[in-house]
Amino acid sequence: MKTSHIRNFSIIAHIDHGKSTLADRLIELTGTVTARQMENQLLDQMDLERERGITIKAQAVRLDYVAQDGETYMLNLIDTPGHVDFSYEVSRSLAACEGALLVVDAAQGIEAQTLANVYLALDHNIEIVPVINKIDLPSADVEKVIREIEEVIGIDAHNAILVSAKSGLGVPEVLEAIVKRIPAPTTDESAPTRALIFDSHFDSYRGVISYVRVMDGTIASGMKAQMMHSGRSFEVSEVGVFRPSLTPMPELGPGQVGYVIAGIKNLKEVRVGDTITDAARPAKEPLPGYRKVTPMVYCGMYPVETSEFDNLREALEKLQMNDASLTFEAETSAALGFGFRCGFLGLLHMDVVQERLEREYQMSLVITAPNVIYQVRKTDGEVLLIANPSKMPVPQVIEAIGEPYVKATVIVPNDFVGAIMELSQEKRGEFKDMKYMDTTRVMLTYHLPLSEIIYDYFDKLKSVSRGYASLDYELEGYQESDLVKMDILLNEEPVDALSIIVHRDKSVFRGRQLVEKLRSLIPRQMFAIPIQAAIGNKVIARETISAMRKDVLAKCYGGDITRKRKLLEKQKAGKKRMKQVGSVELPQEAFMAVLKRD
Amino acid sequence: MLANSLGIYVHIPFCRAKCSYCAFVSAVCDRSLQQSYVAALCGEITAAGGDFSVPVDTVFFGGGTPTVLETTELSAILQGLRAAFPVAANAEISLEANPGTVDRNSLQILRQAGFNRLSLGVQSFDDTVLAGIGRIHRAEDAEKAISDARAAGFENISLDLMYGLPLQSVSGWKITLDRAVALGPDHISAYGLKLEEGTPLEAAVTSGQVALPSEEDEESMYDFLNVFLPSQGYARYEISNYATPGRECRHNLKYWNYEIYRGFGVAAHSFDGVDRFANTDDLSTYVKSLTGGMSCEGFRETLDLPTAMAEYVFLSLRTSRGLSGTNFSRRFGREFVEYYEEPIARLVRLGLLMQETDSWRLTERGMKLGNQAFAEFLP
Repeated sequence: MKTSHIRNFSIIAHIDHGKSTLADRLIELTGTVTARQMENQLLDQMDLERERGITIKAQAVRLDYVAQDGETYMLNLIDTPGHVDFSYEVSRSLAACEGALLVVDAAQGIEAQTLANVYLALDHNIEIVPVINKIDLPSADVEKVIREIEEVIGIDAHNAILVSAKSGLGVPEVLEAIVKRIPAPTTDESAPTRALIFDSHFDSYRGVISYVRVMDGTIASGMKAQMMHSGRSFEVSEVGVFRPSLTPMPELGPGQVGYVIAGIKNLKEVRVGDTITDAARPAKEPLPGYRKVTPMVYCGMYPVETSEFDNLREALEKLQMNDASLTFEAETSAALGFGFRCGFLGLLHMDVVQERLEREYQMSLVITAPNVIYQVRKTDGEVLLIANPSKMPVPQVIEAIGEPYVKATVIVPNDFVGAIMELSQEKRGEFKDMKYMDTTRVMLTYHLPLSEIIYDYFDKLKSVSRGYASLDYELEGYQESDLVKMDILLNEEPVDALSIIVHRDKSVFRGRQLVEKLRSLIPRQMFAIPIQAAIGNKVIARETISAMRKDVLAKCYGGDITRKRKLLEKQKAGKKRMKQVGSVELPQEAFMAVLKRD
Repeated sequence: MLANSLGIYVHIPFCRAKCSYCAFVSAVCDRSLQQSYVAALCGEITAAGGDFSVPVDTVFFGGGTPTVLETTELSAILQGLRAAFPVAANAEISLEANPGTVDRNSLQILRQAGFNRLSLGVQSFDDTVLAGIGRIHRAEDAEKAISDARAAGFENISLDLMYGLPLQSVSGWKITLDRAVALGPDHISAYGLKLEEGTPLEAAVTSGQVALPSEEDEESMYDFLNVFLPSQGYARYEISNYATPGRECRHNLKYWNYEIYRGFGVAAHSFDGVDRFANTDDLSTYVKSLTGGMSCEGFRETLDLPTAMAEYVFLSLRTSRGLSGTNFSRRFGREFVEYYEEPIARLVRLGLLMQETDSWRLTERGMKLGNQAFAEFLP
């Protein structure tokens, strides 16, 4: 197909604004999938994605559309992840497109995440087509949303397409707009092949399947190709398009979107953002924008049953096949035994991995509080990166500790501005900017430690704004803070898995909160258990769990010994579910207590 | 399994009114169902005659409230038992009764029918507490029942008491114990209330309508009980049981001593030394299967060795005499101290278990935290 008849686009939207529903309608209307095959929200394939109503992995689909001008166009829809954790993936997906539909809920208006993705799109110089969705809602205010788009984003929104993705109203106009308003790819057919990898997934039979957008030249099966960043060469065994299932084609021409299979077994060798070129006639420069994604958030994951360690490793390995941004490394904890220190792009990513381990691999896990990576400058000049709080060196050898800071953007109705400012200040945020989006909504910008965001900033933000605030953040770099390592001692013994890094000013409060929480969670045992929070040798908070007083079954029911034994068995099983830490039995929830925010 | 005597338990699942804490198989129902139950029960007993050739040295009629039945019915059941089993002349034959369901006349008839031990469900001598748990009697009914029983010729009388009840105070519990001892029973059982799932009391406590004594108060009641009764000549021979010399309940001891017993009636449990089994706990199923000549068994398990040993241990440890290492190894062919080396060490370290030559028993603290100790021995 001629490049003039190709349109590559993605959809930008906030959670719940109707991205997946609109995608479904486009697929339906172009007959890409018959009604019978149609399953709601076809693009979100993982169960988890469907349940949470969010997109975690990018997906792609090719739609063949006969436009009003009678010509057939190839529309490639690249669905982007809708969460801040995956912003690099979003940027790669956008780099593969010439345009984007900006879907905004007619009742809700623009949210922080939408804005972040729109800015990403503007950075890539791609055409933005505003689509206002849910116009049939009683609370829809189309005029206001149009004004908002124009004022905040600064693009013309008077020709915004008004739709109800749910009912299908306005959807044909969207298809026309994609053809008319989004430019065709400009490519150089004769230039050496360059294709951008914007996602990949692992198939147990075929190996890694790379999702690519061909920028210049062509990729054909049988061709010897090369990854420009990793340097690896391979032979292309199959190329094809998404309709939406994988459909082989002899080649992918310039401007096209499709997949490449090359018998690669390890997802790590196919990095999102890398450029595929022809090994026989390599391009001079790779496509811009590649970077290696590094985890931002770490936590320890330990099997409840120590014997499950190998199974956990296997499960993590399997997940990693499809998720190159997940990292893990074996570690040992005195309290929890053998486990893994896992790295994630963000909290959602962590939640998703945890849930998949529990659901798909039936793992029963103890998870330690998530933390960021700390940069520790020692007195001898050495700089350490600390991903596990218990590995923090003793204070005597620390010159300074740096922690990652982010630029946080919050969009909120102006009634809540005061509350948000108070919260952000409390979370060590530095006020940067405040902008009115319209008469009722405000955009606040703060410079905030990432550790506060992963602790409870986001939850608190939602609660003080009654759910109206939306948040987006991007990493800005490291900054030194007055941080200390706080240990938790049970029965005078430090429990390494409960150590946290905390700002000195907050240590007493957090320490008190934590020991109180632990006191309520740890069942009474046969001796009194002191719980202490300490910085170095200094105890800053203390609680005591008093010893169990009495625990005995009084009566035997007419010789029914079985019933009595069953009760004792239940008691014993309850104990088995606990982790023996020194002399103390700790329930799993005790470890979660450190990250519970209330 | 060799045994030289057998205990028999007979379950009578009827009550005038169901107490709010009760999770037993018992029902308030009409006479005709009671009559068909008695017929079924007698049928079950007769059919089982011959299963055991050893003499029966204890019989226990429990409930429910056995004395809800007519004295003639209770006598007939006992007669049926004697016809089917070799009941020893000196057998202990216990009958549970609740004050308010017996009088001097009925007790006389029952004594003459052969019942020689009476266990009265007194629970408390505080009328407010009694009403609070749905008992049908008052304190004075209990006192009268005891004097009637003495007059009727019962020389072996036991009282059941409960503590940790709603509306009960530590001082009120002391008064109850005082009044109980003043009546001079031969035996006292004192049970801490356990909230059973699905009972009205549990629902009331969960919803906050009813408050139980604080943990501290309940513990004080327990502590007082275990100082006071022994000081009055009632030695503690099992976690919840106290007796004057020679008046320990021989039937209940069979449970703790891992001896064999056979239960008759709905939900009645049996143990033949290897298997534990029980009748169906559904009253109408029980009556129907016996009328139709079918098995009324509702549950059976064969204990594997680790389970049997664990049961043996936790049952023995409920008694003050404790567990005899010699008897254990004779029975199971394993040394108690070797097989349970770890839990023994742990429990001794925690001060819950102690050794005296061949016998192992729980300490005072161990009795109080019995479940913690027992659970250690489970496989």
